[in-house]
Amino acid sequence: MSFIPGHPVTAVVQRIEIHKLRDGDNLILGFSIGGGIDQDPSQNPFSEDKTDKGIYVTRVSKGGPAEVAGLRMGDKIMQVNGWDMTMVTHDQARKKLTKKNEDVVRLLVTRKSLENAVRQSMMQH
Amino acid sequence: YRGEEEIQKECALFPSAAVGETQSSVSAAEDLQTYSEREWKGNTTKSLLIRKGYEAIASEFNLRKVRGDNYCALRAVLFQVLSQSKQLPAWLHDSDISKWPKEMHSDQDFITEWQFPFETSKSKVQHLEQCLELLTNKWQEAVQSKSLEERERMCQQVFRGHDEEYELLEALKFLMLRTAVQLHSDMEKGSDVPEFCWLLFARDSSKCPKTFLTNHLRHVGFSGGLEQVEMCLLGYSLQETIRVVRLYKCDTEEFITYYPNDHKNASPLCLLTEDDRHYNVLVPKKFPKFDAYGRPKWNPPSDGQSSITTRL
Repeated sequence: MSFIPGHPVTAVVQRIEIHKLRDGDNLILGFSIGGGIDQDPSQNPFSEDKTDKGIYVTRVSKGGPAEVAGLRMGDKIMQVNGWDMTMVTHDQARKKLTKKNEDVVRLLVTRKSLENAVRQSMMQH
Repeated sequence: YRGEEEIQKECALFPSAAVGETQSSVSAAEDLQTYSEREWKGNTTKSLLIRKGYEAIASEFNLRKVRGDNYCALRAVLFQVLSQSKQLPAWLHDSDISKWPKEMHSDQDFITEWQFPFETSKSKVQHLEQCLELLTNKWQEAVQSKSLEERERMCQQVFRGHDEEYELLEALKFLMLRTAVQLHSDMEKGSDVPEFCWLLFARDSSKCPKTFLTNHLRHVGFSGGLEQVEMCLLGYSLQETIRVVRLYKCDTEEFITYYPNDHKNASPLCLLTEDDRHYNVLVPKKFPKFDAYGRPKWNPPSDGQSSITTRL
């Protein structure tokens, strides 16, 4: 985990590696996304800034690949396999996550929670 | 959970003043970071540790200072119950708790040992009945509040340092005693009891409910506060989980401790302590909005713009 300078002390960056689950022809990640530059940002319960049009994790399936990898509801997805996700449409985000020839997606997310604040305070020396 | 605007409005309604200067037993909400920097200047190891602890939670909570007498742990918990409780708990809803002192008195001779912090012309049993009835009424009034302002006004009325506040605190102590009696009886029968019970009755000074009362509980508010195992008993008696941020334990596993810690409620009562002696109240600062089931609340769409979620 690393810190973003200038951000409030409880914002942490997390690297998440999701190994997709093969279900017949489908590759399952086990989470849902909301947001995108073509979407209504005021509906997002997770963002501090209600004009934030980023991609957020709205749901994580219990026991699914995303949960196992450490993804959490409320995480904001910053990058997928190196591609920026802060300025994409909802559909562009979906496409980057669901490429048929990719079994693994590496996400860069930011997370804001008390538990992380606690972990942070314990790591800072 | 309250948004920042509501907290700021609250501060305007009740200007911040040091507890002790006014009659209020619980102060208005203030920013933790500001408080920490003001109270813990300097660079001793301890100051750095405490400030670090405050900083870790400063973006999540505001602070409300609690009157610092030996009732403070009970007072902080009572305040959180009255200000945050969404509904009457089952145990309060299902029974007439004002009958409990008489029931206990007919079983065993404990209540003669009770100490009150105020004068009373009634018998001790009668006065405890009154305390429990008051607790029921206040709890009901709290959950039936129609607005945040109304609820806050109600809490300010209670926490004025008058007899009413202390009657409610004595009611909490009675509930702890009654629970201790039940748990001890379960232990003797060999039934399953929460882990903290073993610690509670392992102390030489409180091997049974009677000595727990005479050596510990009846002194709470007078010459002593609550030990940690007694915090577990308090949480358990109310069927609540008390979550305490313990600043002097920053950098350890015990920085955040749950009383009791075996089953965690979805909405614990949040307190703060620098030293396990004095307790203050934490109120959430900003939070995503969730409904009663923990599902995020989505606002209705505006301007015809879409807001879709996609399952991957």
